[in-house]
Amino acid sequence: MIDDFSRRIFVRRLTFLGGGTVLLGNACKRDEKPDAGAAPVLPEVLTTSHRSFTNAEWLTLCAAVDRMIPRDEDPGALDANVPEFIDRMLQTPELPQIKTNFAPGLAALDRRAHRMFNKGFHEATPAQQDELLAIFKDSPEKSGEARWYEMLTVMTLEGFLGDPNYGGNKGEAGWKLVGFNLVGRNVKGDPKAPYDGSQTLHQLHCGGGKGC
Amino acid sequence: MPNDVVDVCIVGSGAGGAPLALELGKAGFKVVVLEKGAWYRQDEFVHDEILNSRRNFFMPLPWDEPHLWRLGPDQPFTRSNEAWTANCVGGGTVHMSGYFYRLKPVDFRQKTELGAPKGSNVVDWPISYADLAPYYDKAEIELGVSGNAVPHPFLEPRKGNYPLPPLTEHPVAGEIDKAAKSLGWHAIPTARGIISREYRGRGACVYCTLCGSYGCEHGAKSSTLASLIPAAVNTGNVEIRPKCMAVEITVDAKGDAKSVVYLDKDGVRPEQEARVIVSSCTAVESARLLLNSKSSRFPAGLANNNGLVGKNLLFSSFGQSKATFSSKKFEWLESPMPFVNRSVQDFYTMPDERFGFRKGGTLGFMWQHPNPIFAAMGLAGKGERGVFGKALKDKLRAYRDSRILEFEIYGEFLSNDGTSVAVEPSVKDKFGIPVAAITVKRHPMDFAMTKFLVERGEEVLSQLQPDRIDRVGVQGETTILQGGTCRFGKDPATSVLDPDCRAHAVKNLYVVDGSFMPTSGGVPVTLTIAANSFRVADKMIARLKKGV
Repeated sequence: MIDDFSRRIFVRRLTFLGGGTVLLGNACKRDEKPDAGAAPVLPEVLTTSHRSFTNAEWLTLCAAVDRMIPRDEDPGALDANVPEFIDRMLQTPELPQIKTNFAPGLAALDRRAHRMFNKGFHEATPAQQDELLAIFKDSPEKSGEARWYEMLTVMTLEGFLGDPNYGGNKGEAGWKLVGFNLVGRNVKGDPKAPYDGSQTLHQLHCGGGKGC
Repeated sequence: MPNDVVDVCIVGSGAGGAPLALELGKAGFKVVVLEKGAWYRQDEFVHDEILNSRRNFFMPLPWDEPHLWRLGPDQPFTRSNEAWTANCVGGGTVHMSGYFYRLKPVDFRQKTELGAPKGSNVVDWPISYADLAPYYDKAEIELGVSGNAVPHPFLEPRKGNYPLPPLTEHPVAGEIDKAAKSLGWHAIPTARGIISREYRGRGACVYCTLCGSYGCEHGAKSSTLASLIPAAVNTGNVEIRPKCMAVEITVDAKGDAKSVVYLDKDGVRPEQEARVIVSSCTAVESARLLLNSKSSRFPAGLANNNGLVGKNLLFSSFGQSKATFSSKKFEWLESPMPFVNRSVQDFYTMPDERFGFRKGGTLGFMWQHPNPIFAAMGLAGKGERGVFGKALKDKLRAYRDSRILEFEIYGEFLSNDGTSVAVEPSVKDKFGIPVAAITVKRHPMDFAMTKFLVERGEEVLSQLQPDRIDRVGVQGETTILQGGTCRFGKDPATSVLDPDCRAHAVKNLYVVDGSFMPTSGGVPVTLTIAANSFRVADKMIARLKKGV
């Protein structure tokens, strides 16, 4: 056999089911923190507009998702309110590890920006920001940096292309970009039917039993 | 906290558990079905990709309820959600795509007709296609299957056509027909567990396109949730208990199965006694349940006195390629109809060893699933081949302006000593129950076979003149299609279950999910599991009526 395990495909299975498995599972089951230690002290300020991040983390997050999906002739991640989506999603109780790991990754990105360019990530030029993100993206597969980048990709794309009721995909900007215009995204084909995905996720987490 | 004794307690409400519950209820027996997942209403099925495909609406999260997974006994285990199917009333039939094929007569006599490849554990089934055929008819009627059984050289014997006419097809189906014919092959209609017309009070398919991975809010998908479960409950004899996780099956002093101990949604740990106990919670989870049911009579797990529970695990061999068309290229691309419903079975078996295998499988053609996050994750890639920024946006726009036709392989998965399920006592799920540990060692012939089938599929795609064809791979396995961990057979030394799917070693214990299957078949096995459960129901009812 020429083929061996190292060349195996890992995209198994999902068209049979349909649209892919819980990709998030792979991104957030690890708990290593990227580049832990030697962290500069960040101001621990939480505002009412963002509940999962300090102000410094928020600035880094907004700048990072803006480079992931920048605005050009079509709307980008900031136009679609992706940071708002991530902030809200990290408040859901079912993703404790994402919540634990995501913010330290932002801090690590910011530290790297200070080391390389003597300024915060959000103050760097777009080219510098891209260079920093590429370093994280191209880090060894099991490194904290690569895993955090994967988490950033997952959260950005969920926020850009997920149901708008979670706070992202504002004006269905993401759906328009990829041409997703299927009728009946909600119950019985009524796109205006009331629906609260966050509440549904919460009920999944608590199991619906006593104390839910 | 014991409940009243019932006639039959069934663990699991999917393709295996539900037919049995329905038939027992109709025959007047009292049945309790324990289902670990929720009992969703139709209006809870929402077209929300994040909820359905990316969280724990259907599948458990790997840190709550992992399956340990490794490729070969020398590899470390990783925590995974591989080999789970939907955890809810209806099980995997709720989020399935519903490709409802029958096995073929050769699948029941594979060793005799095609031989057992060296290093495999291929055996003949203890029953024949003729034994199962009437129950295929019954399953198709009870669940509701739409299709058109056109004559072709590989058509399995069947009495008549499907109970419902075929779903409206996308015009690409006709293009595939022409392409296959030009190659000397046969593109045949794929039957679907989706109803094309109103049927028994269920609404017809509305062609919403979000089908696989989603529950159907119209009841058009022929899940057991939409079809058999309501009928079973209507008998007045069947109680479904959702959010009840089976922990173990106990035995009495004689070694007969006595009760199922389970955890309910409030964390209470009741016990359900029954005259007959049935496990039907997937091949992986049924093996786990039996292996976790240790007693002085069965110290290695219930019905595992010969050490075969969990052995000979089967999945379906997977391979895939995708053809991308710019959306303006052909007029027929503009149709929004979701269903391609074409299969090629010309390579289900091979006449000789020339290409390195005798038993092949099925190619199923379909449009790529429209889930946008799923598509974008694939386009973003990862590592040094991954992209972001303008490069990613350009890919997203190109995706918008194209259509992607794909096929996937449902190929024979050769059973072997290296592919099995065990339980790992040191790793427990959120309920505190030791988890299933899955080791997969693929037989090299599987890969040769899948590669051959993928190449044939690419020939079909090429005939359609796409802009490009990308091979996804030839070495995968579809783990939601599973079987084999309690294979049935006549010899108690070499099988766990008898030909009626009753444990050789425990006369009132049955397993009716895919576990009984000694070979995987070259098609998705959902319909076969349901048909077999209807068959077992007849056997079990005859015994219960005689008081044994």
